[in-house]
Amino acid sequence: MDEKKERSLSRMREEMAMFQPLLEILKADPGEMGNLQAFLVENIISNHRVIIDCVEQGKPFLASQFTNPVEILTAMDVPWYFHVQQQFAAGGTGGSPHTLEDLENMDRLGVPADCCTLLRLLLYYQVAGLLPIPTAYLALTEPCDSVAGLHAAFMNHPDWRDVPVFEPEVPYHDDARAYDYYAGELKRMIDFIAKHSGKTMNMNRLKEVVTETNKGYALWIEYSDLRRAVPTPHSYVMPLSGFYTLNTAGAGEPEKTQWYRDLVANAEARVRENRPEVPNQKIRLLWYDIQPMFFSELVPWLEQEWGAVIAMDMVSYCPHELVDTSTEDAMFRGLAKRALQHGPMIHQARGLVENVIADIRRIVTDYKIDCVIFPGHMGHKDMAATASIARETCRELGVPYLYIGMDICDKRYTSVDQIKDKISKFFTAMRLG
Amino acid sequence: MQTNVRSTALQTFSEAAQTIVNPEVQKWKNQGGKIMGYFCAAMPVEMITAAGFLPFRVRATGSTGTELSDAYFGNINCSFPRHAFNMALRGEYDFLDGVVIFNSCDHIRRLYDHWIRQMKTPFVKILSLPRKDEPAQVKWFRDELAILREHMQEHFRVEITDDKLREAIALHNASRRRQRDLYELRKTDRPPITGTEMLAVTVAGTAMPPIRYNQLLGELLEDVGRASGHSDYRARLMITGGELDNPEFIRVIEGQGGLVVTDALCFGSRLIWRDVDQSVSDPLTALAQYYVADRPSCARMYTRYEQRVEYIKKMIRDFNVDGVVYVRLTFCELWGFEQYSLVNDFKQSNIPLLCMDREYTLTGVGQLRTRVQAFLETLGDKHG
Repeated sequence: MDEKKERSLSRMREEMAMFQPLLEILKADPGEMGNLQAFLVENIISNHRVIIDCVEQGKPFLASQFTNPVEILTAMDVPWYFHVQQQFAAGGTGGSPHTLEDLENMDRLGVPADCCTLLRLLLYYQVAGLLPIPTAYLALTEPCDSVAGLHAAFMNHPDWRDVPVFEPEVPYHDDARAYDYYAGELKRMIDFIAKHSGKTMNMNRLKEVVTETNKGYALWIEYSDLRRAVPTPHSYVMPLSGFYTLNTAGAGEPEKTQWYRDLVANAEARVRENRPEVPNQKIRLLWYDIQPMFFSELVPWLEQEWGAVIAMDMVSYCPHELVDTSTEDAMFRGLAKRALQHGPMIHQARGLVENVIADIRRIVTDYKIDCVIFPGHMGHKDMAATASIARETCRELGVPYLYIGMDICDKRYTSVDQIKDKISKFFTAMRLG
Repeated sequence: MQTNVRSTALQTFSEAAQTIVNPEVQKWKNQGGKIMGYFCAAMPVEMITAAGFLPFRVRATGSTGTELSDAYFGNINCSFPRHAFNMALRGEYDFLDGVVIFNSCDHIRRLYDHWIRQMKTPFVKILSLPRKDEPAQVKWFRDELAILREHMQEHFRVEITDDKLREAIALHNASRRRQRDLYELRKTDRPPITGTEMLAVTVAGTAMPPIRYNQLLGELLEDVGRASGHSDYRARLMITGGELDNPEFIRVIEGQGGLVVTDALCFGSRLIWRDVDQSVSDPLTALAQYYVADRPSCARMYTRYEQRVEYIKKMIRDFNVDGVVYVRLTFCELWGFEQYSLVNDFKQSNIPLLCMDREYTLTGVGQLRTRVQAFLETLGDKHG
């Protein structure tokens, strides 16, 4: 394998090396949550292994992301990796030894510093040759300008310029016409994948996969309902894992459904026995945006210092509906709706602000939320313009609201200490905790 | 750079670009005419004209602050919607009978959310503008326009027939042709019209009745034909980027000796460089095809980067451009990533490029002068 290909896999290999000992520890002494966590770690490792094998053996694989229905990729049996996930990986800024080096190299690219760091970092990984070059890739146009801007730059990279790309075009509206239009895009996407991967779509297999993800979604809904309990059964990592499990490679496999069953069973037992993972819960938070990559420095502090639990967050909360698999048309329309309406971030940031208002209203009521934290990632310009409406909604609900202003990738923007200070002052001023 | 054109038409255009409610708008309103506002160059103004209304592209010309809109937008939001919405909140857009907004960018689409909550404009619609330009997207946008037509007909009790649309297309195509005639004159060694003046002309075209505008354009073309050309410049420049509607910004650049001979701006050449195809039988399809696929695109059309670069390069050749000035409104992600690609491509192609972030209002003039002067130094005195 040439040096370029080897380098493109280096971060995946590092991540596997980092996770392997963790996996062994979890398996040796799983404890109550260990099996759930071990499955997720194994899943990451096995997904990486598949891509490494594709690169080494010259087999076709794609780069894609969760808003392009993962069921289609599973049904077509096409290996893929989630290229916007790299930043969250051990090789990225998730507390890895590369964090500062990556950010500094990213700054040298010359993309204006006010553009989203999450996506500037991804561009850096591409430029630095740290992403495996796929046979073809599925871009995305939503939920924000930086995603579209990034992909325009992505397509222009000398090593990627000749990689075929399909961009499912996402409409702004949420109605039957929009779902049908997007279903058409998905069908064109299937033709594209078939052309470049040599794989074909079998509609019976797609139905089978969607039926299985429906089971996963049903269980995720059940789990989300269990988080309404006071005290909430789990810490924050589990709802996020729920998102991960259904939105990455292999979605629709029965093992993943089983993971949800185990998750629900554990949460049920904890609620029934009043045995929450986080003891002494005093404050129930809604975290309304994606989580910072340095969340591991914040969540334990919130829980231990303040007894504050994130009862629900933006990524984990989507109004999931099950896809009607009775006909091919119904199934595609359902997948389109799932992609446009149920996908985290797409649901909140793509369309009108009504989704944000409705979410906050429902979550605050259903999850008995004591306060709403709006992290205000510097890349989320639409959210910055939404914050005032969110604040107004919270005011109407009589629930305290805090806007922080941070860079989810770069602690130099707002340090963890500054964030903690803001949160502490907020809790104190609002007499929470 | 002093003007070489003695023209009352040019004066009218300059005044229209320097204000919001220019005398033509005022006259239209006094006569009971309706005015429909819009924000994006992708708005098929022909639809508004066909309804018998005046299309008016919303700007924030003359804005001095964002004291009211700051309650709605964050400090990482673009200054254009902040200033424009501030003016709206101050009542300066109360003359609009309707507003059509697109999901043009993250800032403008949220402006829609605030507009419908805070303003009392009787008719406000948002259209879903595709980000790519294939047949399915043209069809989608055609249907968006059909829905808009239906809503306008119902709300205003007007008829927007296919024939009226065809007439409007012909009228606006005539504007574009005359505007291109002016651009054509700038290809010469001694362009008779400056970049400052040209931007005023195109901006004015978004703020006055098209029939009157075409008449004034005709007069201007005659006046310009009589004017002597500019030869007192150090370099021929092109401006590219997103929203720029302030001719004074270009005046500062030209004041340093760089004559702006062409542009790729959404208030400039991208607005006019091609015509809507009048041979297409369905006028809505013709409009959708033009606004989604045929006209020079902006950075939000993310699959068309190569065409945009080609467009700029062709401009550079045709207008004998010495250097390109790239302007971006701070916090614009679309033009931010575009800048990255363009810097790399232009370096390879040996095209001198000056990238500048700016606020919507003309601020930091001293810094702008210094940077332009330095850029002109690097270009050398090619025409002095």
